[in-house]
Amino acid sequence: MKKNKATAALLWTAGVVLLWEGVAFFLANILHDKMANAKLPYLHSIIYTIAANFSEISNAALITVSKAATGFALGAAAGIMLAVIMSISKTAEKIAFPYLIISQMIPVLGLAPIIFNLVRNMDLSRIIIAAYLTFFPVAANMLGGLKSVEPEKRELMYSYAAKKRSVYIKLMLPFSLPYLMTGLKIAAPLSITASILVDMLGSKGGIGVKLLYSLYGGEKDIFWASVLVCAAIGMLSCFIIILAEKILIPWKKTSSGGEE
Amino acid sequence: MNNTPEITIKNVSMVYNDKGRDVTALSNVSLEIQKGEFISLLGPSGCGKTTLLRIIADLLQPTSGTVEVCGKSPREVRLEKKYGIVFQSPVLYDWRTVRKNICLPLELMKIDKAEQNNRVDALLEMIGLEKFQNHYPNQLSGGMQQRVGIARALAIQPEILLMDEPFSALDEFTREKLNEDLLRIWRKTNKTVIFVTHSIAESVFLSDRVCVLSPHPGRLSAVVDIDLPRPRTKEMRESPEFFNLVTKIRNSFEGV
Repeated sequence: MKKNKATAALLWTAGVVLLWEGVAFFLANILHDKMANAKLPYLHSIIYTIAANFSEISNAALITVSKAATGFALGAAAGIMLAVIMSISKTAEKIAFPYLIISQMIPVLGLAPIIFNLVRNMDLSRIIIAAYLTFFPVAANMLGGLKSVEPEKRELMYSYAAKKRSVYIKLMLPFSLPYLMTGLKIAAPLSITASILVDMLGSKGGIGVKLLYSLYGGEKDIFWASVLVCAAIGMLSCFIIILAEKILIPWKKTSSGGEE
Repeated sequence: MNNTPEITIKNVSMVYNDKGRDVTALSNVSLEIQKGEFISLLGPSGCGKTTLLRIIADLLQPTSGTVEVCGKSPREVRLEKKYGIVFQSPVLYDWRTVRKNICLPLELMKIDKAEQNNRVDALLEMIGLEKFQNHYPNQLSGGMQQRVGIARALAIQPEILLMDEPFSALDEFTREKLNEDLLRIWRKTNKTVIFVTHSIAESVFLSDRVCVLSPHPGRLSAVVDIDLPRPRTKEMRESPEFFNLVTKIRNSFEGV
């Protein structure tokens, strides 16, 4: 099964690369499109650009990612805490939940300049927006997990006269962990997007700045290199969470029926 | 049977309110259970057998009537951690290995580590799952999972074992095997067992007495003494005495 999966992944990657190179070739050499290099340059030439400008691009990416990661961690922590509070107290849930929903209706594109105007600090804005986008999926999924605990599992704790603290530590939190990971998987690429977005508001460093300047400055190769790096970072962030999930949730790994 | 009973159930009734309509789940049930007895609560769905068990376990409050366990209320007995409960589904915690699942109540009771390990080792041996102690529940068959559930219930060394249709989701072969295992464990530990089931044969094979409950409203319609000798063996299931008891119980149902 594992071998099959690896083969599939390899074929899939090869397919994407071939398709990309094929379309780029089609644009440049068959349609003789003068804009071919801007519309879709060859993948290998983009990778060459990344390699040639590696320190410049990676420095920019690092600025964006480190702030995204900080915001992600803060947003996730706040999301988990609020979910736990809402699961303990019905009143807290009733008060907080409408605000949660409304907060998701404010377009982040509009919120980002407001935050920037308030704090007047690029790094802090990145962190706040990344945290803001992380917070909701984490809180909503975690709360969903806490509320899905089967009544029998709680009754078992009740029959042992377990204290609330023990019930949370030994039942509620471990039960909700897979739900939390789902929330984190959604939130991780979002936090990166948030950080890139704030870059574009007029930051000095960051991969979003590279994107914006190269787009208007006509440096098409740098632009495409930045796009590819952004995509790679987003995917990487998701893979890191999946890896963490595999380590933190070992009981999900093997689900083959046992033998008597 | 002449000493004071361990559990006294007196005129217990349970009325639910279901969409404005009163439903009587249990009507005026009285029963005395001796220490060390194996009692079955037998009946079809809706006869209130599980309700009665849950009232004894302090998972439900009766509408009227009282339950006393050694002169105490079910709540006091629960807080003293003298009940071991085995649910219909095994209710294992997926994130804990077999060993950790059995250990859970001992951790909650803050029993010291060495004693925890001793008890868990003994229980793993008793249920024959030493080799699976580091497996997760989803790696076990249904029968193995339920054995872990029984071991966990026994871990706190309860006075009373309450079992709510523990084998009803299992196939007949596994079920009969676990019936024998349960009797073997019971003989070793000598707990009072209250066992809820809807299988007549199972109740006859296991019990000292079978309490027959009938539905609509749930009430105790007969108590049948099972005088088959112990230890019970597989062969007894085919004896004429066994069949006579099964028939007698079947005929004692009312209004099914």
